[in-house]
Amino acid sequence: MASAGARTRAVAAEVVDAVVSAGQSLDAAIAAHEGKLPPGDRSLLRMLSYGVVRHQFRLQEWIDALVSRPFRKRDSVVNALLAVGLYQLRDTRIPDHAAVSQTVEATRALRRPQLAGVVNACLRRFGREDLASVPARSEASKWNHPAWLIERLRADWPDDAAAILTANNARAPMWLRVNTARQDVADYARRLADAGIGATSWDGVPGALRLAEPQSVDDLPGFADGDVSVQDAAAQVAGPWLMAAQPRRVLDACAAPGGKTGHLLELDPGIALTALDSDPERLGRVSENLARLGLDATIVAGDASKPEEWWDGKQFDAILLDAPCSATGVIRRHPDIKLLRRDADIDALRALQRRMIDALWPLLQPGGRLLYVTCSVLAAENDTLVKGFLETHDDAVEDTVLHNNNIRDVMRRKACGYQVLPGTAGVDGFFFACLVKKVS
Amino acid sequence: MVLRVAPEIMAKLKILEFPDPRLRKKAVPVESVNDELRTLIGDMFETMYDAPGIGLAATQVDVHKRLLVADVSPDKSEPHALINPVIVEKDGVTVTDEGCLSVPGYYEEVERAEQIRVRFLDRDGEEREMEATGLLAVCIQHEMDHLEGKLFVDYLSEAKRQRIRKKLEKERRHTAVVM
Repeated sequence: MASAGARTRAVAAEVVDAVVSAGQSLDAAIAAHEGKLPPGDRSLLRMLSYGVVRHQFRLQEWIDALVSRPFRKRDSVVNALLAVGLYQLRDTRIPDHAAVSQTVEATRALRRPQLAGVVNACLRRFGREDLASVPARSEASKWNHPAWLIERLRADWPDDAAAILTANNARAPMWLRVNTARQDVADYARRLADAGIGATSWDGVPGALRLAEPQSVDDLPGFADGDVSVQDAAAQVAGPWLMAAQPRRVLDACAAPGGKTGHLLELDPGIALTALDSDPERLGRVSENLARLGLDATIVAGDASKPEEWWDGKQFDAILLDAPCSATGVIRRHPDIKLLRRDADIDALRALQRRMIDALWPLLQPGGRLLYVTCSVLAAENDTLVKGFLETHDDAVEDTVLHNNNIRDVMRRKACGYQVLPGTAGVDGFFFACLVKKVS
Repeated sequence: MVLRVAPEIMAKLKILEFPDPRLRKKAVPVESVNDELRTLIGDMFETMYDAPGIGLAATQVDVHKRLLVADVSPDKSEPHALINPVIVEKDGVTVTDEGCLSVPGYYEEVERAEQIRVRFLDRDGEEREMEATGLLAVCIQHEMDHLEGKLFVDYLSEAKRQRIRKKLEKERRHTAVVM
C-alpha cells in the first residue's frame, strides 16, 4: 500500500501553484484542494502550503540555481513541488529521507512521472551542496518579500523595516476576544485551562487572550454559543476606542466578515448598528457571526463610497471605517499578499480609501467620531491619507487621546494617527486615526 | 524488530504495475520458512521503504507466495512480516483513501473492516496471532488482497478502473520515451 504522504505533497504543490501561477489567494486555493485529502492530512497540507508561500522568494532562488533550465509553463506545478520539497528540507523537522522520497513520489500523483528524476536530483543536490548556507543573491530572497514592498517599508520605516520584514515571516499566534458581557477574561482563561488550552492575557487589550498554540474553533469552550471569538488583539483596539464616547447610532462600513461588528455590539448591545459591506456573499458571514453571538444589526449591502445608493439620510454619531487596504500589516497571517499584491495596487487602494472617507464624512453628525482603521503599515494608506483628508476638511480634527493607557507602549504616533507594527506584543500591524466632526 | 539480514546485501526489487497480468496471479502458501525467504523479506522491506510505501505483498514483486510486509509508522519503527496470513476475525467498517505501489499516483476510498485478528507465521516459522486496528488493519487487508490477485482498483467502478489503466499505460509509454 502506498503511503499517503506523497499525495499530501502533491496537493500542497497544487495549492502553491494556484497561488504562484494562477494568482489565487492561499485560503481559496486550500479550500479548493483540501477535499482531496482525508481530514487527518490537512494540517500538514496547511503547514506546507503556508510555509512555501512564506518563503517563496528564497525557495525560487534555490530552484533557479538547481535546474538547468526553467520548467515549462505546463509543468509549473512541478516547480511548486520542488519548492515544497526544499521547504521541508530547510524549515521542517520532517526527516530528509522522508521529505525527498515522498516529494519525488508525488510527481506520480501529479501525473508527471517523467520529472521524478529531476526532482530527485535537485533535492539531493540541495543538501550535498549546502545551498541553504549560500548568501541570498537579492534583497527579495534575503527578506522573502517583493522588492517594491521592501523599498516602501524602508522609506516609511527607516529604523523598523528589518523588524517588520522579520515579523512578517514569522507565524502569527492565535488571539481570542472574550465576550466580556458574559464572563470576565480570567473566568474564560480558566475554562480554557480546564480544556487543556494555555492562554495569556495582555494589558493592552483587556478582553484579549493569546493562545499558546493555535486551536480549532470547535475545541474552544463556548465558541458556538458566542462566548468567544477569534480576533487579533490589535483589531480589538478599534471597538472600545469608537465606543468610548457612548454613541447611539453607529455605522460599521466595510463590516465583513463581522469581527469588529460583533465587538461593537458586545460592548453595547443597545446601539443601533448598521453593518455595511459591498459584498453580499461576505455579508452572509456577518449574519452568521452575529447569530452566533446572539446579537443584531441592520445589515446593508452597499458601497461605502456611494452612500446615495443605500443611506436613509439619518446621520450617525460614530462611524468605523475599516477600509480595504494592502493588508501589509497582516502578512504573517496571509503570506500570499507578498506574491499577489503589486506596487500599483497601493495607488488604487489609496484612491478607494480616500473616496470612502470623503463619502462617509457627511454621514457623520457634528460632534461625532469616525475611526479610520487599516491593517496596512504603509504611510500612503495611513497617515499620509488622513493628513490629506484633514487638509481638505475644515470641520474635521483628529482626537489624539488614546482611550486606553495600556496600549500607549505599542502605538507609534504618526503625523496623523497611530500605528501598531506587526509582531509588537505579538499582535498584527494596524493603523488607527480618530477624527471628530467639529460642532459649528 | 531487528532485520536479520545485513543491509549491504539487501536489494531493491522491481514493483509490478497495474495492469500487469502477473498482479492477477493467486499466491501459493509458503512451505518452508528458510534463509532464502528471510532474504526476500529483507528485500521487500527495502523496496517498500524506498518507494515509499507502508505495505508490500510478494505478488507485487513477482513472487507468488503468501507473504506480505507492512510498516505504517512514520519512522520505520514497526515492521511486520506476515507469512501465510489468515484473517480469523473482522469487526467494524472503516473507509480509507488507499493508494497502491502498483497503481502509482492514484488514491481512492475503499471500505474495509476496522479491526482484524490475523493468524500468520513469523520469520522464525512460529505461528502467531495479532490484533490490528486503524491503518495497519486496512494495510494488511489491502496486501492480503494482492495475494488473491486482487487490487484496490477492483473496488472502484469499471469506468474509473479503465480510466486509471489507460492513464498509467500512457504515462509508461511517455516515460519510456523521455528517460
